[in-house]
Amino acid sequence: MYILFIILSIVISLSIFLFKKKNVTTILSIVFLASLVIISSYAYLNINKTDNIFFKYDSLGVLLSFVLTILSIATFYFSRNYLKKIDYHSRNVPVYYAALIMLITALMTAYFSNNIAVLWVSIEATSLFVTILIFFERSKVAPEASWKYLFVSSIGIALAFIGILLLSIAGSNDGVTDLSFDTLRNVVGNIDTLWLKISVLLIITGFSVKLSVFPLYTVAVDAKTIAPSPINALMSTVLVNAGFVAIFRTFTVIAHTEIIAWTQNVLFVVGLSSIFIVSIQLFRVKRLKRTFAFSTMEHMGIVALGLAVGGIGYYAVILHIVLHSFVKAGLFYQINRIHTTFKSKWIDDFSGYFKINPLGGITMLVGFISVTAIPPSGLFVSEFLIFKALFLGHRYLIAIVAFILLTVIIYILGKIFLGILYGNVPDKIETYKPNYLEHFLQLSFFGLVIYLVINPPAFFVDLINNAISILN
Amino acid sequence: MTYLFIIIYAISLIYFAFEERAKKFVWLLVIQGLILFGMAFFSLKEIEFFDFIFILTETVVVKSIVVPWFLNRVRRHNGLKRVYEPSMPIFYSVIIVMLGLIISFVLSNTILDNKLHTQFFTVAFASIIYGLYFIIIHKNIFSHVVGYLIIENGIFMLSLAVGSTIPLLINLAVLLDVVMGILVLGIFMNRVGDTFQTDEVNQLTELKD
Amino acid sequence: MISLLLILVSALFFVGIITKIKAKIAARKMPSILQPIYDVIRLFKKGAIYSSTTSLIFKIAPIVYFSSVLLAVFFIPFGGEAGLLSFHGDFVFFAYLLAIGKFMMIIAAMDTGSGFEGMGANREALYSMLVEPAFFILTASVALFTNNISFHELFAHFHIGSNLSYAISIASIYVLVYIAMVENSRMPVDDPKTHLELTMVHEVMVLDNSGFDLALIHIATWLKFAIYGSLISDFIIKSTWNLYEQIAVYLGVQIAFACLVGILEAFNARNKMNKNPQWIIVLSALAVVVFLTTLIITQKIILN
Repeated sequence: MYILFIILSIVISLSIFLFKKKNVTTILSIVFLASLVIISSYAYLNINKTDNIFFKYDSLGVLLSFVLTILSIATFYFSRNYLKKIDYHSRNVPVYYAALIMLITALMTAYFSNNIAVLWVSIEATSLFVTILIFFERSKVAPEASWKYLFVSSIGIALAFIGILLLSIAGSNDGVTDLSFDTLRNVVGNIDTLWLKISVLLIITGFSVKLSVFPLYTVAVDAKTIAPSPINALMSTVLVNAGFVAIFRTFTVIAHTEIIAWTQNVLFVVGLSSIFIVSIQLFRVKRLKRTFAFSTMEHMGIVALGLAVGGIGYYAVILHIVLHSFVKAGLFYQINRIHTTFKSKWIDDFSGYFKINPLGGITMLVGFISVTAIPPSGLFVSEFLIFKALFLGHRYLIAIVAFILLTVIIYILGKIFLGILYGNVPDKIETYKPNYLEHFLQLSFFGLVIYLVINPPAFFVDLINNAISILN
Repeated sequence: MTYLFIIIYAISLIYFAFEERAKKFVWLLVIQGLILFGMAFFSLKEIEFFDFIFILTETVVVKSIVVPWFLNRVRRHNGLKRVYEPSMPIFYSVIIVMLGLIISFVLSNTILDNKLHTQFFTVAFASIIYGLYFIIIHKNIFSHVVGYLIIENGIFMLSLAVGSTIPLLINLAVLLDVVMGILVLGIFMNRVGDTFQTDEVNQLTELKD
Repeated sequence: MISLLLILVSALFFVGIITKIKAKIAARKMPSILQPIYDVIRLFKKGAIYSSTTSLIFKIAPIVYFSSVLLAVFFIPFGGEAGLLSFHGDFVFFAYLLAIGKFMMIIAAMDTGSGFEGMGANREALYSMLVEPAFFILTASVALFTNNISFHELFAHFHIGSNLSYAISIASIYVLVYIAMVENSRMPVDDPKTHLELTMVHEVMVLDNSGFDLALIHIATWLKFAIYGSLISDFIIKSTWNLYEQIAVYLGVQIAFACLVGILEAFNARNKMNKNPQWIIVLSALAVVVFLTTLIITQKIILN
């Protein structure tokens, strides 16, 4: 069944690319979005069943695929608005949609893959399609960022591949290598711990370029700085979720072996370094998108800390990435409006947004509250749980350092946001009628985040609990 | 017999350190592709016909014919420089390659795992390390891609080291990697060459704060 | 004894063959093969002129150089028989004999006070230093392979068995040929035909020598070529053959070596000066690879 979905997506993507007509694109996009909804529901209904050896609809995958479906629908809508200004028949726009469809397919495959090699292949494919999309804007810095992103991402993923190969030593009897996660979990006790440590280190390093944490974060941040806003919304959310899935599944493989303590220390280092680097770099950023890219990195650092500490941290981590996806997406969809209003990308040029576009101003304010995890934002709950787990696990020093760094980050973000919202309106700003649907959608994302923590639906909590049941 | 190919591969790494011309890099990649085919051919315990065709395609056709042809085409089409000077003198690079080879051979000696074919692990490790070093000392995009291909060769040998029958999936993955990298390189060389008048990487620093 | 005779005989003709091959490839008129001998005889008849800036060193250096090379000839084995002198570890002594000769030539060149000769001395010293590891590592790997440490026993027990030892001997011969080219100041390190002092290495060191001294230096060059040729032939000749076969193969190898040097000289351009050290260190790197191969063959490194 899943293979059918992949084939359908490839056919749709190729048709859009080859036919290059606007009606065709619109119809096929709607068909694709419908198929996304269908496959997510099908996966939810067949939860924990394997499909075709390589794919398994486990709870983490189902949860993230719901997120992906919702965000894909929103992205398609916002892309339509974003691309309205561009002539359709320049060959870029069909490429944009085709690559977008393939990207979403690859991400779905990554979420559902049961075999570490399939996971690797699908993440590699996402690199390729994201690069095509990053390059869309043809500004002077676009070749730079997309080349660097593709190159470093390929090298990082090659490193992860070495780690996978070393892991597969365990799974091999007489040369037959079965790389599905279940098999790996069973046989991982047989490998020498040194190999296991090296392999886990390589996998974490390799996928850190996708998860946008230390050590290979630079190209991820650069790429998010120049990608078009709707794509940025996808990159900062579902793409880092794919990186998280990779690292999480590796973590479950080694969760019951003796190197768990060492891995947790590695993840502590990764998390703290990421947050530390963000707190330093944020003082120097001058572009708004870059600010948000660093904010993603900070949240992923917190996720790494949560994954490392265990206990209730596991629940909090999955909650955090789901909520963070919606918050970040909402923020990025709003950025496009800010850029077109002020006709610039530099933070220094933005001010007085509240006066120009009150609805947008409110959205930004709510977004600011959400992303800095101030209550009633949902992220507050998940960060609170992570810190609670840190204190319960006697990691006082890490918790205090993280607190201080997060305070610094909130300070800088506050400075930037309030500088944008208040202040004098610069000259030569054209006023326009705000698009109520857009703003309503963004506000609804933030509202969803609040709703999911105040009154979480039962299936949501169940999915998360199932996803982390392996770890306990 | 595979030892012979391993030694010749080690010698090819030394010549990578010694050469400066783009054409020689491409030739060395061709030779490495052929060496990999020899290694794979002689090390498989039993060869099914389909696997054999696949390995033949991957090593000889893709690594030795298609990719170098594509690199040469990109080179000519964009008028790239003939000589790419590294930022560290070649003298020290050769010494570093020597040290790398010695370290990887000694390292494989200390590995007592009998599930790993350490004969391949030696040059695989040396190749990956040297590929990373190559990328660091050269500052232009063409050499970066060459370094990336060296790393991919090392990964191919690592996959030989890990299993005696090569699962199709792993080789498919490596193939995808290589083909993707090269195709996108070609597209990018055209764009980057048009936007900047050079292919030096230190021009690409605008995104820093 | 036989090896001494053979080396002396082949030395007489070596340089002549090189020149002849080069001339033939360049489609020039060939001098006779005995031309170098006639040149040396002519030089013997002349008196030497010594510059007033030089000291005793300059006078004794050619003699020391020549005698060190001649002494080194005594160590070379031939086809399973030892040379005139042989003891454990003699290949180290051999290398440093050659080094003493070179050292005397270098300080003699600096003794003349000429800027060019000092420059040539610098370069000569650098290249010898860089090529020395290659020679030692190569000999060490052969010693490891045969488990003996004198020249005579090294080659007496050098059996070619598996195809890896073929690889060792081919790689060793390749490296030895190039070591010979470097030690004798041939292409692509140094062009013996150039007369631009700025680009010379060895030739410029002997600019001020004349007459008897120059003749000795020339003969020492021939002997060094013949030494390396015998070392190469020692890789090929098996001790189980009978004497006439060995002599025939030996002469064949020497002639082939001379032709090879001639061809390499004719077809190679000389390296840019700053590329020379890199080129020479590649020889050491190849020697290291040969050493690693020997370690694998002799199971000092266990690989499965």
